[in-house]
Amino acid sequence: MKIDKKEKAVVVIGSGPGGAQVAYQLTKQGIPVVLLEAGRRIMKEEYVNEEWPAFSQMAWLDKRTMTGNSRIVKDFNGLPTWLVKAVGGTATHWAGATPRFLDYEWKTKSTYGSVDGATLMDWPIDGKEMKPYYVKAEDAIGSTHRGGRPALPANNNYKVFAEGAKRNGYKFYATGPYGTNAAPYDGRPASVQDGFNFQGDKSGAKWNPNVSEIPKALATGKLELRENSQAVQITTDSSGKADGVLYMDTKTKALHRQEAKVICVAGNSIETPRLFLMSASARHPNGLANSSDQVGRNYMRHLTGSVYATFDKPVNFFRGETMAGFLADEVKHNPKRGFVGGYYLETLALGPSFLGAFLDPGKWGKKFADMMDGYQNMAGMWIVGEDMPQANNRITLGSAKDAFGLPAPNVHFDDHPNDTAMRNHAYEKGEAIYKAVGATQTYRVTPYPHTHNLGSMRMSAKAKDGVVDKYGRCHDVKNLFVSDGSVMTTGAACNPTLTITALAIRQGEYLAEQLKKGNV
Amino acid sequence: MKITRRELLISAGSLLAYSQLGSLANAEVNIAAQPGDQEMIASMCKALYPHDRFPMNIYMDIAAGAIKKGNADTGAKISFRAGLDGLKINSFDKMSFKKQTKYLNSIANTPFFGLVRGHTVVALYDHKEVHKIFGYQGASFDRGGYKDGEYNDLSWLPEPRIEEHPDLTAFLDDSSPKKYASLKTKKTF
Ligand SMILES: Cc1cc2nc3c(=O)[nH]c(=O)nc-3n(C[C@H](O)[C@H](O)[C@H](O)COP(=O)(O)OP(=O)(O)OC[C@H]3O[C@@H](n4cnc5c(N)ncnc54)[C@H](O)[C@@H]3O)c2cc1C
Repeated sequence: MKIDKKEKAVVVIGSGPGGAQVAYQLTKQGIPVVLLEAGRRIMKEEYVNEEWPAFSQMAWLDKRTMTGNSRIVKDFNGLPTWLVKAVGGTATHWAGATPRFLDYEWKTKSTYGSVDGATLMDWPIDGKEMKPYYVKAEDAIGSTHRGGRPALPANNNYKVFAEGAKRNGYKFYATGPYGTNAAPYDGRPASVQDGFNFQGDKSGAKWNPNVSEIPKALATGKLELRENSQAVQITTDSSGKADGVLYMDTKTKALHRQEAKVICVAGNSIETPRLFLMSASARHPNGLANSSDQVGRNYMRHLTGSVYATFDKPVNFFRGETMAGFLADEVKHNPKRGFVGGYYLETLALGPSFLGAFLDPGKWGKKFADMMDGYQNMAGMWIVGEDMPQANNRITLGSAKDAFGLPAPNVHFDDHPNDTAMRNHAYEKGEAIYKAVGATQTYRVTPYPHTHNLGSMRMSAKAKDGVVDKYGRCHDVKNLFVSDGSVMTTGAACNPTLTITALAIRQGEYLAEQLKKGNV
Repeated sequence: MKITRRELLISAGSLLAYSQLGSLANAEVNIAAQPGDQEMIASMCKALYPHDRFPMNIYMDIAAGAIKKGNADTGAKISFRAGLDGLKINSFDKMSFKKQTKYLNSIANTPFFGLVRGHTVVALYDHKEVHKIFGYQGASFDRGGYKDGEYNDLSWLPEPRIEEHPDLTAFLDDSSPKKYASLKTKKTF
């Protein structure tokens, strides 16, 4: 449907898991939505099954800078994050791991106590309240091992991982829960195990909004999807309510304005706070909805790290699903290990092109080459654990400008000592898993550019402690919502997208009800 | 010339160089254009990422790419020329691998080294012939993906369980904040 720019519309900014889900929830209930997406719609036929060309096709390449003690500052300064600029958002690239928060992970301050230098805080919602939304989110994504959906078969990488885990006395390994179909579901086929899940997935077996919520929302006839439309400022009226969005056609650079009655921002944890900061005005001198000074702060990216190992026999880990292997044994909080919180280990396979760039950035020499030389005999896993929110890990407007003349965001990230302690523990356990099945060489790999971008628009019970309330509604501006991973108060150990989806379904239902009652 | 993210990725140090990539059309002096220059750079690429299994023509391809970048602008040209000169004066290609490594360590902070290393690590492991040697098969979608018996052909370990352990739900659900809070310690670092 076509919505007039002069019409006061419900506007959603960003079409990733957060934004697309809210847009679908609203349109499903008959509420017209304008969805502004900075990127274009790439259809599955266009996806490229080569690592670098696929990356260039979809990655957000606009200028960003980075500061802090994280190694990425040195290794990948122009690329602090690994995010997508396309319809469907970063889920175009995502793998599909869909674990849930544990109940106490909604209440880390009460559970872990105080941790020096960390800004732990309890969420204003809990596991009980979220449980039904998790079920809806798993059904929306089609998570394997849930809702009666079957498990994916074991691939070679998983065989090494699972047997190594077993020999270490671990029990809680499986090939999911994973957001790629093992059997046809929701009009999408089963995985063909083609090994290019990260590159968009040509078969459509992998869930992402571009093959699910977007076509479903379009089918309601209530959605206007505007591609190549990048929001650059949110404006407010004399009463302090948001009343419009200035957005740029990224092709022609022309500036447009959409009148708005409600705005939901879902540009991810870098672009959402950036937009709020770029929307500073006389009434909001510190940035929009930022009376708490929390916009951009407490940015998290999960612990992360990887362990790769080579064996004296072939593995061919690049075949099949990229991340269909889980180990949950280390996820529970157990401070005896020397850190708070926990982590998952998950299988991960990269092609030689990515592996060369990420195995040990900056390294050269025989040891590195020997590791690469073992490619065919290699297995790999990724570490994903809870990282500590810190007030100064934050997104700010830097002095550099992007190609549009807009202030480029700066990402400041210091590893917290808890993160380092947890990562070292996980490295050791990961290596033990591979050694138990005969690894000849193991390699500890430093974090990649951030794939899990969380926090920075924190959810809080009280207005002074965060930016949004328990529905993602801004404490300061009542018709302005945040609908993406940036609302996370704390990040828990699990991969974030299932939770982003669950929160967006909940927000969409709430907002539809409020709109119908005339409360916004 | 289009600057790709691949080039941006290579290293923070060479970012500026890449962002200044200019037109080659008016270049009057091209560096590394003497006979033997490409071979010399190739020997450096090989010393950086030594693979006995790779034929020299692969390293020659990589060297050609590095030389192209070395000619991209005046700044790159002068540092590349100086770096190449150093290799020649020291007969880098005739050194033992051990001596080569030592030499490379001694120049590791130069822009020349940064350019050649950064280019090599990306271009080498993205090289189609390297993929073949590594046994990497790449895209399979057009033939219906990796088949049953292919993606799971590893036979030197037992078949694993793919379902979740029956105790997993209880393990994850046993999550009362109260119980876990009793583990609370004031964490200082
Ligand atoms: C390689 C990789 C693997 C991953 N694997 C997993 C996994 O296994 N499990 C998991 O849970 N998560 C995974 N993730 C993370 C997952 O992709 C993200 O958590 C998720 O996509 C975040 O959703 P979002 O809606 O918050 O933001 P995004 O998905 O980033 O969507 C934001 C969208 O907003 C658009 N946008 C931004 N700014 C503007 C603007 N100003 N105007 C208009 N549009 C704008 C962007 O173009 C983008 O389309 C992975 C990520 C990567 C990169």
